[in-house]
Amino acid sequence: MTRTRLSSQPLRHLQDRIATALITAGGIGVLLAVLGIGVFLVWEAAPLLLSEELGSLSMLTPLAWGTLKAALIALLFALPLALGAAAYSAFFMSPRLRSRIKPTLEMMEAIPGVVVGFIAGMVLAPWVERHLASTLVVLLWLPLSAGLAGLLWHLATRRWQRRLPLSWAALWLIPWLIAMFFLALWLTPLAEQALWGGDLRHYLYDAFGLDYVTRNALIVGLAMGFAVIPSVYSLAEDALNEVPRPLMEGAQALGASRWQAVTKVALAAAGPGLFSAVMIGAGRAVGETMIVLMASSNTALLSASPFEGMRTMAAAIAIELPEAAAGGITYRMLVLAALVLFLFTFFVNTLAEVVRQRLRRRYQRMGSGA
Amino acid sequence: MNSNGFALRMKYGAALGLTWLLLSLPLTGWAQSQGPSASGTLGTVGSDTMAGLMLRWGEALTTQHPDINVQFQASGSASAPPALLAGTTRIGPMSRRMTDDERDAFVERYGYPPLELRVARDALIVIVHRHNPLPDISLDEVDAIFSSTQACGSESSIAHWETLAEDDTGPKGPIALHGRNITSGTYGVFRQRLLCNGEFRPEVSKHMGASAVVAAVGESYTAMGYSGYNHLTPSVRPLPLTNRQGSPVMPSDTTIQNGDYPLSRYLYIYVNLPPDASLPPAERAFLDLVMSAEGQQITRAAGFVPLPLDALEAQRAW
Amino acid sequence: MTWLKNAMQQGVWPWLCAGSVAISLLMLGALLALLLTRGLGHFWPAGLDEITLNNGEVVAGEAVREMPLPDQTGSERLYFTGNRDLDDARWRWVAIDTIARQTQPADLLRLERRAWGDFIGYLEAVEVNGERFTGDDAWQQVQQALALPTAQRTHYQLTLRTPQGQTLRQSLATVINVEAPNAMHLGQKLRAWGSEVWQFLSQGPRAANTGGGVWPAIFGTMLMVIVMSVIVTPFGVLAAIYLNEIAHQGPLTRLVRIGVRNLAGVPSIVYGVFGLGVFVYGIGGSLDEWFFDDALPSPTFGTGGLLWASLTLALLTLPVVIVATEEGLARIPEAQREGAVALGATRLEMLTRVVLPMAMPAMLTGVILAVARAAGEVAPLMLVGVAKLAPQMPLDGEFPYLHLERKFMHLGYHLFDTAFHGEDVQAAIPLVYATALLLVLIVLVLNLTAILLRHHLRRQRGSEC
Repeated sequence: MTRTRLSSQPLRHLQDRIATALITAGGIGVLLAVLGIGVFLVWEAAPLLLSEELGSLSMLTPLAWGTLKAALIALLFALPLALGAAAYSAFFMSPRLRSRIKPTLEMMEAIPGVVVGFIAGMVLAPWVERHLASTLVVLLWLPLSAGLAGLLWHLATRRWQRRLPLSWAALWLIPWLIAMFFLALWLTPLAEQALWGGDLRHYLYDAFGLDYVTRNALIVGLAMGFAVIPSVYSLAEDALNEVPRPLMEGAQALGASRWQAVTKVALAAAGPGLFSAVMIGAGRAVGETMIVLMASSNTALLSASPFEGMRTMAAAIAIELPEAAAGGITYRMLVLAALVLFLFTFFVNTLAEVVRQRLRRRYQRMGSGA
Repeated sequence: MNSNGFALRMKYGAALGLTWLLLSLPLTGWAQSQGPSASGTLGTVGSDTMAGLMLRWGEALTTQHPDINVQFQASGSASAPPALLAGTTRIGPMSRRMTDDERDAFVERYGYPPLELRVARDALIVIVHRHNPLPDISLDEVDAIFSSTQACGSESSIAHWETLAEDDTGPKGPIALHGRNITSGTYGVFRQRLLCNGEFRPEVSKHMGASAVVAAVGESYTAMGYSGYNHLTPSVRPLPLTNRQGSPVMPSDTTIQNGDYPLSRYLYIYVNLPPDASLPPAERAFLDLVMSAEGQQITRAAGFVPLPLDALEAQRAW
Repeated sequence: MTWLKNAMQQGVWPWLCAGSVAISLLMLGALLALLLTRGLGHFWPAGLDEITLNNGEVVAGEAVREMPLPDQTGSERLYFTGNRDLDDARWRWVAIDTIARQTQPADLLRLERRAWGDFIGYLEAVEVNGERFTGDDAWQQVQQALALPTAQRTHYQLTLRTPQGQTLRQSLATVINVEAPNAMHLGQKLRAWGSEVWQFLSQGPRAANTGGGVWPAIFGTMLMVIVMSVIVTPFGVLAAIYLNEIAHQGPLTRLVRIGVRNLAGVPSIVYGVFGLGVFVYGIGGSLDEWFFDDALPSPTFGTGGLLWASLTLALLTLPVVIVATEEGLARIPEAQREGAVALGATRLEMLTRVVLPMAMPAMLTGVILAVARAAGEVAPLMLVGVAKLAPQMPLDGEFPYLHLERKFMHLGYHLFDTAFHGEDVQAAIPLVYATALLLVLIVLVLNLTAILLRHHLRRQRGSEC
């Protein structure tokens, strides 16, 4: 027994060494492959940057503009929703509900972009074109009606307040919001008739010269916002949830209301975490391809109007790269666009990650200090 | 010690690389043994206007020859020449003729021109919403509406329905323009024939497919767009085009086949066929089907206009 | 107004925040509800209307949707009328005001045909080997014959009559299915619905992707995902073990870890560009030159295909596997490793016998998440290897069985393609909904599995500590 052990000893150590080497090689190989993406993009785009064809870079300007425009509108729509949802589920929601709602909202992220893009381009866009005024009203009215529900709640009797508590509001607000949604749909055409002569699109055009395109930045913003919400929400919620409870309790003990404790203490403490959540969201919005491809008009315009289309870098790559002859100017231009996307998202994500790690250490210090 | 460990790791790394190579060799050996057999693979890259047609031909082909493996890629006619050039395909369907540049590039690479086959007739149509009362449209008006450069010589551009229509029964306000993306052959033909190679207005929505154009126009009362004849649905109305003689011609099977409709065109299949070589069996079976009476019946099912059989027979060169 | 002041002080803000959760849930719910109703509703045998217009014209078909007329004076209805071979149109818009009479005749039939799409009309007679049946006998003959395989149906000749009175002769061999939806009761409809759903899942696309099923796309997606997992799992796990167990935990490792995490945020299209440039043009082109020069100019590996798509997606999902595995490894108490080493185990034995078994669920979670991500990803595939129609599977009985160089169909791309490139969007849209629903279900089920697994894992670990 002992002898076999001993005789197998060198073999065991050899095996161990081989395995270690293999793992190291595999690990380093993977890391190299990852680095390789950046190297490849630089390598393929470099001839363009070094040649005299630099003038053709102006081709990228409308693409860059379109990318930023789409991302901005998406964030404009997604950030209030995602951050609000994060604040609510971190501080107000009942823990039982939270353990169900959080995974559900995170599931939103799993819905493939191609499905969201299809719904946005084929269903939402024609509908919004016919009901532009209603859409805009709904966008404003739904948040307001949530606030209105809050006001009514304060008016209500104790019994109703207990029956419909704030900690479960995310659920029982749903029927209320649906009702409000249909109310807006019903009332808006009447208002539209009175205010804008029955067609907001004509009014916008006559009064402001705003053109309306079916698949426009607004649609892309809504659809991409939908795709961005879950990742921002998830990260922001984590950041808020990790705020040391003693901090909040201290603030409330000093007489602050719950909401004051949230805004003054928790938001300040988790600020960097929220920042990194927003950064991640921005990275996602900039690189999303299928939604833009399917829900925008793909016109390379330099317009700021939310009712006109745009073309983003990611969409341009997806459409044009298969047709571009390898090594040609268009090919290199598109690879350059990919490089820009790569660098931007890498930068944004690194920033977010660094900020988050720093925040985590700060919390640990706070926790140990308390 | 440390540098020693590094050298050791390097050695192992090299060994790993070699193993990977060895592993990948049988894989290539596999595929090689497949070779050209009676079955074979038919891959095409090209026009998306012809995608439906190619799919139907493919379906018919696989019913006749169940062993043929069919793979279609259709993202636009402009994708065919680079694919033929790079050798990623041997058959490139195109909804327009190859340009001289594309042909020259092919000749330069292979030393012989690609075989050009006319396989069906199609037309570009200008479409509006089904309830749009606009009676017809002239070629100059189309240029004035879609182009920003007016290369065909019309004096002013038209951006509003009020300017275009004589009476005020139709839509009001700006014309919402819908078209195809840059890689599409429809885009190229429209630009060449109707804009005299001028530039499109930047506002023209660039849709990913012709059916998306039709759907968008069918949903919007103020829209105008262009697509291929085969995508026509009752949701939109094709506008009769005024030809150079001044009488409006409605696009129909007859006017397209006899060329009265000004925007009719051939659909092409380009084949990479070396002068004294024969085609692989899959490709040959496919072309035989395309040029047969059955194949032409399929063009009608796909919404195109078939060619007379003698015109097909004259092109047979394989 | 005191209550208002009071309310503002106590804050409506929490309510706004609650509202944003509710709105997000609503949007998700609306999306899923839309997909469910449209995706599953398409297969329900819808009733067929026969309408007579004011001008005496007869139209028969399935009502699809209604739209207001542009001048707001009423609305119009879109009918699917079929019979494309007879009148060159499949659809008909009818202003509702112009309808004089509307009925649902029980003997109105809908024939699903191989060519030309559906036929809607009446059955006049059936001829079987020269014998002629009419009326109910004819209907019974058809019912019996439909149970036969296609090859034996050739001697059945149908005589059909359109609602407008045209007659048409059609061989039963070219007919896939015949139903009289107006005469069906609920049970029959349910059965028909079930068999339609089954056909959608099990058959290939027909009539230029506007009919039939999505089986090749399901299969292609599955196969690609499997090949991808085979590639990504070992490398992801190796990299995670390296980062967590072997590499010196210094600033460099931390930097690398941040880098890997960031790759998860790099847009998928960038991976597609990399795959096209390196795998397809670079490696694939060279492989073709070295091994397959006799096949050139037809490319073998120098074009997008299953292998390159799987490799590209493997790269794309690598960070997912690495991060999940690392999380699992980090959760294993140091004491376990020290105990193993103290008992004389080498590092390899410690890893294979103690660490890896404990990290197994985490690894599995990572792989499932990677699969879920890959199944829904379309943009990079557009560059490296999906095809519009590839009815031949990349896996078949012909040596070498698995054809890594073939193009394949993918559910997500199929969705995009039928919605935008199809011949007739209106006809394709219901199938697109169904495909979208299927894709969402697959991805959600995969994600749910991963979440439950992770949850289970955390609880287990929690009870151990």
